[in-house]
Amino acid sequence: MGDFLPWLFILVAVAAMLGGLASLWLSLTLTLSGEATGAARAEITTDARLALLTEKEALLNEIREIAFEHDAGKLSDVDYEELNAKLRAEARHVLHELDAGAEGFREQAEALIAQKLGKAE
Amino acid sequence: MPSLDIPFFGTLVLSLTLISASYTMAVAIGAGRGRPHLLPSARLGTYATCALVVVAVCVLAYAFQVHDFRIRYVARYSDRSMPWWYLIASLWGGQDGSLLWWAFLLCGYTFFATRWLRGRYTELQPWILATLMSILIFFVVLMLFAANPFATYIRTTPGDGEGLNPLLQNYWMAIHPPSLYMGFVGWSVPFAILIAALITGRLGNEWVRAARLWSMIAWTFLSLGLLLGCLWSYEELGWGGYWAWDPVENASFMPWLVGTAYLHSVLIQERRSMMKVWNVFLLALTFFLTIFGTFLTRSGLIASVHSFARSDIGQYFVWYMAFLIIGIAALIIWRLPKLKADNEIESLVSREFAFLLNNWVLLGMMVFVLIATTFPLLSQWVRGEEVTVGPGFYNKWMAPLGIVLLFLAGLGPLVAWRKATGSKLARAMAFPIGAGVVVAVLQILFGARLGYPPVVEPTEIYDTTTGTVLAWMAAVAPVVSFATCAFVLASVGQEFWRGMRVRMRRGEGAGTSIFRLVAKGRRRYGGYIVHVGIVFMFIGFTGAAYDVEQEKALRPGETMAIGEHTLRYDQPRMETDPNKRMIYTDMTLLDPSGTEKGQVAPAKFIYRTHPQMPTTEVAIRSRPSEDVYVIMSTVDPSTRRGTFRIIIRPLVAWIWLGGIVLLLGAIIGMWPTGRELVRNEVARSRPRRFKFSPAGAIVALAIALATVMAWAGVASAQDDTSSSLHAGTVVINNPIERQLFGRLLCQCGDCARLPLDTCACGWADDKRAEVREQLAAGVEPSQIQESYRVQYGAKALAIPSDKGLDRALWAVPVATMVLAIGFVVMLGRRWQRRGAEAHAAASGRTNAELEYDERLDEELDRLEDS
Repeated sequence: MGDFLPWLFILVAVAAMLGGLASLWLSLTLTLSGEATGAARAEITTDARLALLTEKEALLNEIREIAFEHDAGKLSDVDYEELNAKLRAEARHVLHELDAGAEGFREQAEALIAQKLGKAE
Repeated sequence: MPSLDIPFFGTLVLSLTLISASYTMAVAIGAGRGRPHLLPSARLGTYATCALVVVAVCVLAYAFQVHDFRIRYVARYSDRSMPWWYLIASLWGGQDGSLLWWAFLLCGYTFFATRWLRGRYTELQPWILATLMSILIFFVVLMLFAANPFATYIRTTPGDGEGLNPLLQNYWMAIHPPSLYMGFVGWSVPFAILIAALITGRLGNEWVRAARLWSMIAWTFLSLGLLLGCLWSYEELGWGGYWAWDPVENASFMPWLVGTAYLHSVLIQERRSMMKVWNVFLLALTFFLTIFGTFLTRSGLIASVHSFARSDIGQYFVWYMAFLIIGIAALIIWRLPKLKADNEIESLVSREFAFLLNNWVLLGMMVFVLIATTFPLLSQWVRGEEVTVGPGFYNKWMAPLGIVLLFLAGLGPLVAWRKATGSKLARAMAFPIGAGVVVAVLQILFGARLGYPPVVEPTEIYDTTTGTVLAWMAAVAPVVSFATCAFVLASVGQEFWRGMRVRMRRGEGAGTSIFRLVAKGRRRYGGYIVHVGIVFMFIGFTGAAYDVEQEKALRPGETMAIGEHTLRYDQPRMETDPNKRMIYTDMTLLDPSGTEKGQVAPAKFIYRTHPQMPTTEVAIRSRPSEDVYVIMSTVDPSTRRGTFRIIIRPLVAWIWLGGIVLLLGAIIGMWPTGRELVRNEVARSRPRRFKFSPAGAIVALAIALATVMAWAGVASAQDDTSSSLHAGTVVINNPIERQLFGRLLCQCGDCARLPLDTCACGWADDKRAEVREQLAAGVEPSQIQESYRVQYGAKALAIPSDKGLDRALWAVPVATMVLAIGFVVMLGRRWQRRGAEAHAAASGRTNAELEYDERLDEELDRLEDS
């Protein structure tokens, strides 16, 4: 093991150096070209939607949690009703926002498809 | 081996790392400031920077393996006789290398965080990357300008190295520092997320969710690091304890306390959108304390068994800490309007308020530890007088706070969110309180007979009312602690039972219900399991009240009795290997009837490179009820006479068991759900051939690492190190002597931190005899203590006095805690009033969106089935 280890460290160092320099080169090329790749664009546009999905997930979990606490006898009926109504109102709002966002996506997608079809013709 | 100018190449790689990290930070800031197309460049730059740090670590590791003694660090921390595994451990054995190791771990976290961030939080992402790069830049600058691990000797290169300190040549060096560093460095990621949220102004629950997994990982590793530190201290340092309140231990404990407060407090924000400023403060403080702790360790400002040599890197830390304080404060003030709470506390009897109390105790403990740790330094600066704050001070003050915290761990789960009605709370508390009372009564009736009396003999650290109050609190601590442990266990058990009952009402069997209960509520039940782990650890801590200790010189064949045990010294024997000579003393453990129960062999190791530093290898026989801890102080090769110190430590094994349970709970708590993983994949815009999930990979890696480290730590039974070279016998005749000797520190020069009730050197023996004579002559203990202080200085007392400026040591934290609880209650009452008003004004749900309600129900059903 003692004889083999130095070579292993050299091998890892060389691989890391090559990988590091390649990443740096790619990064510089992208920075200097000044353009966003398709993947980057997609990441940026989906972020708002992702945030809403995360919010929805959290609210659903919370609604489930308070139902569990109510069933376990740790939340009174009155408190449960009130909290549940409040959380559901928030969740409805998030669903509404998601739907509104989806409309935008649909329009964007239709415009892109029309553009592609137009080019093909 | 290839011929290469390794020192130059290593420094070159570090320089390249600095350039790459600076470039990446600039590009990431650009991406955050309205040029989102730069984000992919920043991500690639981050990967490149991480790769360069890997290269630097490999170059140093290579230099160790090929014994390149041109490098000062390699020559100072290794020699040709060391096996390959110690050569790897030497990477983090000294100051310069451990900084590189720190940067390496930070890059590991940064790499996985960058992978995990792909397709997530694109608004926050550039600033997260920029912050992580800024932290890395600090450490690389530190290495390049103050502690370069590739620095060479100016003149001649030595033929062989000095070798790693024998104290560090054990398996603990492979697991204890890396796990602690993992915990320290891990807080960088949640901190970076927080800074990104502050800069972008996205201060809702988004950043809290983003930081959740990372703060859990960091907390788990920090807990593991502390636990392994206790094990290392117990089994390696050979003084018989697991926690000495050493400045470096305290430096790790402080971020743990604040991080724990954050993990509780953040639940209030998630649940009720409250306490936003407080959570920002707690997380920032946790990160700050990791840097402050590193500063304490590295600067050498405060004497510690762990500290590295005094160096000038301290000034770099001071500047960085000042930058952090100003930067964080400015960001918080700037964003205060966005950090306004959406809700208010509606009742002082609520889960929210219980969490606030929990935060109060945890932060109070942190203030105590912080002031006591830095007090010697403050005393030196303010009045030019050196003082020592010994373990006795911490133990006396922290024990009651710890029990209050333990009580809150049991109370919290019983109280409902928002508002708990009196009758429901009384019903919920009946069983746990009943369990606590039953245990207390049983201990009062039968404890003494079983060896666990409810009250122990009080020892005072001060001759004042404060000292008397503290002594009595410590005296009744065993019965209060065990009763509180029972209360918490019953509370957690009841929570599991209630949850199971709800599921069983839906038709599930008992086994299925408990499995699904934990599976569906990993975070909640993982947290409860962590509480069980803490209870087990408290059982172990409480056992320290019943310690018995004895030291005696024996010839082969002679025996010594301690508690219910008898130890027979059989013979000394010597073994050798290329690195050291090992002198063992074989002993046999006998029961009262004389039957052999087992063998132990405490030893001394004398290393070739450090013959002046023989290490003490303790032998421990561990049982759930007690540990028999055997230290061989000396053995005379000509007469074969040996001096042994035996300590019976009840219930210590419960601490390690509690640690394992705590880790298990933490792992359950952070385990991602299948739904989370799948949703993350769905959220991506690009189709993937393999369903690699960074979240799953991160958790799996963290769990694997934690498991390996925990296993390596716990699986080891005994061994290794300290330089206890003493040969006397500690004789204590009465409680007055015990109390007084505990306050006076040995001044022989070799063991300045040991009090006279522990130190067995000749100097301490003479001093004890002298003190005994003075006591017999009718001199008051307080007068003896005062004359000792006059003779040797204030630093010769284990605990500063309870007068003048010394009183600030406890008065400042106590005053802070009193003011804080007053503030918390006042705030709670104000919130309560406003919350009630808001509650009255709130309108009910609207009926116009029934369609959405149906969709919500469908989603909830799917969530339940997933």
